[in-house]
Amino acid sequence: MISLIRSEIYKIRKQSKTLYALAAILIIEGFVIVSAYYQGTGIIDLLLANLKDSFEFKGNLLNGNLIIYLILNSLWFHIPLILMIIISGFLTSEYKDRTLETVMLQPVSKLNFILSKYVVSIIFTLLIVLLLAVSTFLVSYWIFGKGDLVVYLDGLNFFESEEAFYRLIYAFISGANSMIFFSVVSLTLAVILKDATKTWIVSAIFLICSNLLLKIDFQNEFLNELFFSKLTDSWQYFFYYKIPYSTIYFKNLMLFGYTLITMIIGIIIFKRRDIQV
Amino acid sequence: MKRLSFIFIFFISLNFISGQEIDNDLLQIKKRMDSIKSFNANIELDVDISFINMPTKYGKVRYKQGESTKVTSDDFIMLPKRGLDLTLNEIFRHPFITVNRGEEYHKDVLCKVINIIPTSSKANFSIATLFMDVRAKRILKSEISTKTEGVFTTSMDYKNYMDALPGAVEVQFAVNSVKIPLRFLGKETEVDRNAIKKEGSKTGKIFLTLSEVQIVK
Repeated sequence: MISLIRSEIYKIRKQSKTLYALAAILIIEGFVIVSAYYQGTGIIDLLLANLKDSFEFKGNLLNGNLIIYLILNSLWFHIPLILMIIISGFLTSEYKDRTLETVMLQPVSKLNFILSKYVVSIIFTLLIVLLLAVSTFLVSYWIFGKGDLVVYLDGLNFFESEEAFYRLIYAFISGANSMIFFSVVSLTLAVILKDATKTWIVSAIFLICSNLLLKIDFQNEFLNELFFSKLTDSWQYFFYYKIPYSTIYFKNLMLFGYTLITMIIGIIIFKRRDIQV
Repeated sequence: MKRLSFIFIFFISLNFISGQEIDNDLLQIKKRMDSIKSFNANIELDVDISFINMPTKYGKVRYKQGESTKVTSDDFIMLPKRGLDLTLNEIFRHPFITVNRGEEYHKDVLCKVINIIPTSSKANFSIATLFMDVRAKRILKSEISTKTEGVFTTSMDYKNYMDALPGAVEVQFAVNSVKIPLRFLGKETEVDRNAIKKEGSKTGKIFLTLSEVQIVK
């Protein structure tokens, strides 16, 4: 199992798509920083326009913490989309290049093979989120400095710099769990569909639907609390003024359950299916 | 005959208004305030607005006669446009007349209530109502109708009978809900536009607590 994981990690390191993933993450980060640099002040002015009749503001809200929060918001769509495309490719490329048949001719169990794919996908996801977090913190603080964070979530919430820092860190950790879910889903879709293009399209549709369903009120408490799409936003809860820890724990735990179920489904399908390309 | 009496009363009234003197008690208070050349103090700010959550902020307030009050802080702070003028410098800056409105209780203190009406167009308020504690020679409450920034009601609490400057100030004002640039702040932001429209303007309050006040006379 360990040697399979090592072998998968080696493959990822050698694949150019890994570099594309890293580049995509940094490009997204760059776009947010550049747009915030040029438009940020104007947008904060617009946000606070109604308050300017009654208040004078002292201090800078366009700071590193706000930029990190804006980049963190790429966890809604951009980062999971990139992860789903790259990670589904871990398996679809094996089907396409027929390397899967070669591997299966070796004394390798199908269970261990697919399990190692899932393990490496999770490691890859965690590394991407870590890279995003570290680079975002470093660049944002370096260019924009520290300061209070303002977030609109159930009102205008202001957080002092130190508090914003730990909230952002926790949000990245919680967001990593959501990203793992999407990564595992994409690998399971790759198991089912085999073809890269089909998997990308279905993954993108899954992500879009998941985002849309998050907004829909099912008029049913059970669905509203337990449906998978309602569980992927736990990281955003760190920006309520009073952090609802129990909701965050519940959502993360449930989503982890969905991740495990999705993984088990993928493993069962892979094990039962003959390796035909 | 009726028309003649009306014109007579009108001119008599006009003469009365133009010749109106400034309230003596207010002049006493103004004199006391004018004796403050400058002051420094630590300031604690708390915001009470339904759609704003902000922790207590700390800063320093500095006043020098002839200049506007300055507040500095290491944090981001929201200061009310009115209410920091503890010496009422802004009100007394341009010529005005006063109208006595009788007496009223404010926080169990019998106050003399007067209106201040500026006679110069340069003044940035249209009318102010002051609740004066005549015995202690200080203002307990003011309602200032500004020309462009709405109405600000300021209530002042003093630590003891002798203090010229308040230890705590509550500033009340009307404030509109915020506009949300959705694309900037993330698509998770849910905005009930109808609710915002219905809400219109709300009352906001800012509480200022002063400590370590150092007055130079």
